[in-house]
Amino acid sequence: MWKLFTSDLKMLARNRQSLFWVLFFPLMFTFIFGLFFGENTTVGTIAVVNKSNSQIATGLTTALDKSGVFKIQAEDNLDTARDEIKRSVIAAVVYIPEDFGTISLTSNKQVQIIYDPGSQVYSSLSGVVGQYLTAINYQVQNSKPIFSSQLEPVTDRKLSYFDFVLAGVLGLALMNSSIIGIGVNLAKYREDKILKRITTTPVKSWKFILAEVLSRLVINFLQISIILLVGKFLFDAHIYGNIFVIIPVALVGAFLFQSIGFVVAALSKTADAAQGMAQAISIPMMFLAGVFFPIDSLPKWLNAIVQYLPLAPLLRILRGVMLEGNSPFFEPKNAIIILSWIVATLVISIWKFRLADE
Amino acid sequence: MKKIINVSNLVKAYGKLKAVDGISFHVQKGEIFGLLGENGAGKTTTLEMLEGLRKPSSGEITVLNCNLGNDTDRIKEQIGVQLQSSAYYSFLTLKEILELFGSFYQKRLDPIGLLEMVDLKEKANSYVGSLSGGQKQRFSIVASLVNDPEVVFLDEPTTGLDPLARRNLWDLISKIKSQGKTIILTTHYMEEAEVLCDRIAIIERGKILAMDDTHRLMNMAEYPYTVNFVKENVPETTINKLDKLGKVENLFGKNNHFIVRVKEKKDSDEAIKIVESIKPETITSGRATLEDLFIELTGKTIED
Repeated sequence: MWKLFTSDLKMLARNRQSLFWVLFFPLMFTFIFGLFFGENTTVGTIAVVNKSNSQIATGLTTALDKSGVFKIQAEDNLDTARDEIKRSVIAAVVYIPEDFGTISLTSNKQVQIIYDPGSQVYSSLSGVVGQYLTAINYQVQNSKPIFSSQLEPVTDRKLSYFDFVLAGVLGLALMNSSIIGIGVNLAKYREDKILKRITTTPVKSWKFILAEVLSRLVINFLQISIILLVGKFLFDAHIYGNIFVIIPVALVGAFLFQSIGFVVAALSKTADAAQGMAQAISIPMMFLAGVFFPIDSLPKWLNAIVQYLPLAPLLRILRGVMLEGNSPFFEPKNAIIILSWIVATLVISIWKFRLADE
Repeated sequence: MKKIINVSNLVKAYGKLKAVDGISFHVQKGEIFGLLGENGAGKTTTLEMLEGLRKPSSGEITVLNCNLGNDTDRIKEQIGVQLQSSAYYSFLTLKEILELFGSFYQKRLDPIGLLEMVDLKEKANSYVGSLSGGQKQRFSIVASLVNDPEVVFLDEPTTGLDPLARRNLWDLISKIKSQGKTIILTTHYMEEAEVLCDRIAIIERGKILAMDDTHRLMNMAEYPYTVNFVKENVPETTINKLDKLGKVENLFGKNNHFIVRVKEKKDSDEAIKIVESIKPETITSGRATLEDLFIELTGKTIED
């Protein structure tokens, strides 16, 4: 049994295809979303052409810089900057004309924003510039705003879209590596008659399966740790939950997907068929169970269905634990859905899965 | 001789189809026993019932004095199995695979020694994927020896191999026999059965058509003696004379190459005299082959 377990581990580490699903695929998502939405990311690069040396003009460039929303590039010539927009090097130009900010009748009083309509930088840029100029206007007129709004977040915890996606990617990683891993691997073993060969030896089937499950849980543990470490230390993800709760929850998820993998292996005759079936199960779930966006935004009727997909309750629990620091049983319904899936898939596996068919 | 395997009235039915239809035989200690038949004749099904992989519909099997069904685990400890066209783990080295399979048994042999036996020692740290067809097959056979078994089951061990690799495997199989192990193998190659097996059972549609010591089996042919000769334009009268002794055939449409099949030695001598009188280019006399018997028994060639 120990030998089976260590051999399984060796094979998992040596199999590049399985490593792809276990590590590279989820890390790829972590990096992509981390670079776009992680801490210290900007919506785009803009150029500032500042022809004025007034205090107000300098104040505006500083405000743009400090907003942290854009990458700023200083530019001397407006035409060069326009050209750069056309070549998509930058997304917009803020043009501060000569003697802008000096109080005289003839001075320029308008800042020009030239932007690429295809880029999303415009709304943030006009917001930052507008806010700054409004404040200056009040100051110059020596007045104060009468109406204003006050913002109050429900929690003072900082959360970003990346934090939301990181939990999703974790679920995605567990799902892909387990369903595809177990399903395709066992179907391949059957095709190659390795399973049949095993049954000619005195080793008990349950030992063979247990070694397979345990070795994969070890790999899942590494997988979870690496994704969380990369998210936390490379992209400053906010993880508020206890790691000793997050990991067991994730491993229960891994086990759930392994049992789905056993069903896939039981129902498919060849490794190719298993690959197809595994993907037919995991790809729709990737989009419908809330990996990248909250499924509440789906049409009501669709949401009523997809919230019961195996991955959906797992992600709800994972996000509750990771982002809110909740208990996994905060909403018992989620745990009940997961448990029901585990029981159902195990029953089908025990009923249908055989190491060697008659 | 001690009986190692005893099979009586073995039946395996899938619905209405009887893949194995009431066969009985025994295997003696230290011999190579061959199940010969074409694809789908029931050889593999029979073998897999002996290995405990399939449950018989009815009949009894004892292996090494243990009753299959009650003592399956004890039997599994003492048998070695090579499955037809099976593969092994892709990401374990040969040595690791043998160690892993060895760990399933109470008794186990040293992996390196086993690899040495099949000239694969220098491949000990390679994956199965890097082996040639013949090497894979040798590995597959040696993997069935990890527990130093009493009985070795080989299911079509040479199918798909080139003639040289096949001879190489015959050497290996006889080497295993010389270690005192009992071997039961299936094959659809007549020549292989004739060369390797001490005793043969010819199986067709789940039934045993003939079973005996290999050399005695040929005597069962209706025409056990043959005279082969090559000659252009053989006179009609000569053909008629030969026809009276036995059967005269052309060899696969070559109208200068003849085979005369006769029932008795004296007829064979007579035929040789007649043929020599017309001065043939070549003449050989011989005995019916296993293939001749097989065609006679099944009424077709094995390649159909």
